[in-house]
Amino acid sequence: MNLTKSRWSGDSGWTFIEATLSVVIMSIMVLGLTIVLMAFREHLDRSWAVRVMDQYGNDVVERLTHELRNAVDLSVRRVVSGRQIMLDQIDIVYLDPFYLDRTITKRWRPSSKPAIITVDGVPLDPYFPPRRPGRGEVYEIRRFTLTPYGQDGRQGGTAVWSNEVFDSQTRNEAFKEATYLIRFKLHYTRSAVQRGNPSWTFDKEYFNRVYIRNMNLPIRRKLREQAQ
Amino acid sequence: MSVMLEKWRGDKGSIDFVQLIVGLLIIGIASIGTLSALSYGYGQLDQQMRHRKAIEVGRSWVEYLQGRLHCDFDKGKFEDAKLANGTLNSALRTLLDDRGTTEVYDDVYCKVSHGKLFPMNLPETSSMDWWEIYVKVEWAEPDEDEQYPLHKVEFFARMVPEGY
Repeated sequence: MNLTKSRWSGDSGWTFIEATLSVVIMSIMVLGLTIVLMAFREHLDRSWAVRVMDQYGNDVVERLTHELRNAVDLSVRRVVSGRQIMLDQIDIVYLDPFYLDRTITKRWRPSSKPAIITVDGVPLDPYFPPRRPGRGEVYEIRRFTLTPYGQDGRQGGTAVWSNEVFDSQTRNEAFKEATYLIRFKLHYTRSAVQRGNPSWTFDKEYFNRVYIRNMNLPIRRKLREQAQ
Repeated sequence: MSVMLEKWRGDKGSIDFVQLIVGLLIIGIASIGTLSALSYGYGQLDQQMRHRKAIEVGRSWVEYLQGRLHCDFDKGKFEDAKLANGTLNSALRTLLDDRGTTEVYDDVYCKVSHGKLFPMNLPETSSMDWWEIYVKVEWAEPDEDEQYPLHKVEFFARMVPEGY
């Protein structure tokens, strides 16, 4: 088959319609590519925000777990109790490392907006929430609670261990007084690209159960006797 | 005018069929590649989230066992003897990721179990020194068979007995 004469191939140059159509088609291609890249960028920004949340959430739970493992006593006071937001203030008591008959107390104070947890007035992480938020970005703490064993029926936002309440009925007081559940929930909101569209929100909860072993040791008994 | 109209309606030198198909093919391959990358990345983030959640579940179970062994454990009681024997053959199946609140068939479950709790006694001491604890959390990703979970996190811990 002679390709030069075939209707499938033509090389006589551009006509006006050809040029116009080519420009239109290329514009549509570029527009499509731009939209895909913008969606990709929005996806990356959201992923990054979730990673920032994860970093802070894990930091808070890890630090609190570590502090409680070394504590000899603690007190918990609920300061915000609502359907959406639940915050506790926690005072953790430690044995003074220099004077073994004295104690020191660290105060954990949460704030929902801005999403900050302070320990003795110092933010746990000075870089959270981010100093330069993106388009309509807001982080909120929706939950920061420390609950004794058996008093929180749903662990970690999902029914991970649904029989905790039932199991707590057969546990002794020493175990129930020294075992706590940490729940920390962050809420992220991001405005839509187009005004008028609903914002994108994301909730994530971080949890850990901690056993405060010093509360069942003679040292705590002695501290309580001294306090009385 | 008729010459111009003839030129506009002409099909000489226009984009031909092969060029059109090749162009569409290139656009299609680029789009498929981009969408595949996005979908893979999204799946990886979900997988990492489930891995972290499994670690939280496993650690919570370790803390529970440590608390029980330290202050609420009696070898003479049937329930505590059963706990000491481990639950590797009767793992607790719990929800790991509900993946959306509207459907239940796509939920991801994990199995939490612990091995036999071994009391360790050093030769220099007369009484038991610590308990050895082993906890395992297994799960299968959405496109895998739940009967044979491929993903696992394990925890090895110790706990001193009551009074220490």
